[in-house]
Amino acid sequence: MPDGLDGDLLERFVQGDQAAFESLFRQFEADVYRWIVRIVRDRSAADDVLVEAFWRAYRGRAGFDPTRSFGAWMRRIASNAALDHLRAARTRAGWRTADDRIPSAPPPDRAIVATLALVEEQPYAEIAEALDLPVGTIKSRVFRATRLLRKELARLGITT
Amino acid sequence: MTDDRQLSQLLRTALPSADIPEPSRDLWPDIVQRAGMRERVSAADLSVAAMVVIALLLFPRWFWFLAYHL
Repeated sequence: MPDGLDGDLLERFVQGDQAAFESLFRQFEADVYRWIVRIVRDRSAADDVLVEAFWRAYRGRAGFDPTRSFGAWMRRIASNAALDHLRAARTRAGWRTADDRIPSAPPPDRAIVATLALVEEQPYAEIAEALDLPVGTIKSRVFRATRLLRKELARLGITT
Repeated sequence: MTDDRQLSQLLRTALPSADIPEPSRDLWPDIVQRAGMRERVSAADLSVAAMVVIALLLFPRWFWFLAYHL
């Protein structure tokens, strides 16, 4: 069984057993939390995203295949929840300021990839699995994010 | 390639790796609330309920007294 989990526990989770869900939460909470922090980079936001991610997991439990890895499935849900959080934060920030002295951030889907690959140094394969994207897409997003960052740095007079 | 490494280094200097091992508090109650699940009934709650039922079976006239106080 992937993740070394008891198959019965996963079956019970899919059927909506609250005790099984709590047991899975206790086992995966720290790993999922660390993953979310790497993306959102804010402790209180990470708490909210973690709650949202596990709530989405519980809501979508019928779509989980108990023969697959719960950890990988949970990371995908957490990545989507973190992405939605970043999109909402970007929309709110967009209403506040349009100052061109501030470098324009890349769109959240590219920012996530750039943060995980360039800052957190996560392997492309791991990022691809968590975002449910092909490795080639991850590589091209890192390339585009790097190009955008370099352009913004050049605009600010910083060359690399 | 060297430029990429330099850019990566610049980013890591500006955004240090987020190394927070666990949430600030127990988030399970928040998940229970968000998912609309009910917390499991505690043993203390069950004991009180059992005592009330037994009391009512033994002393049915206590109904209004218990209803007033509970």
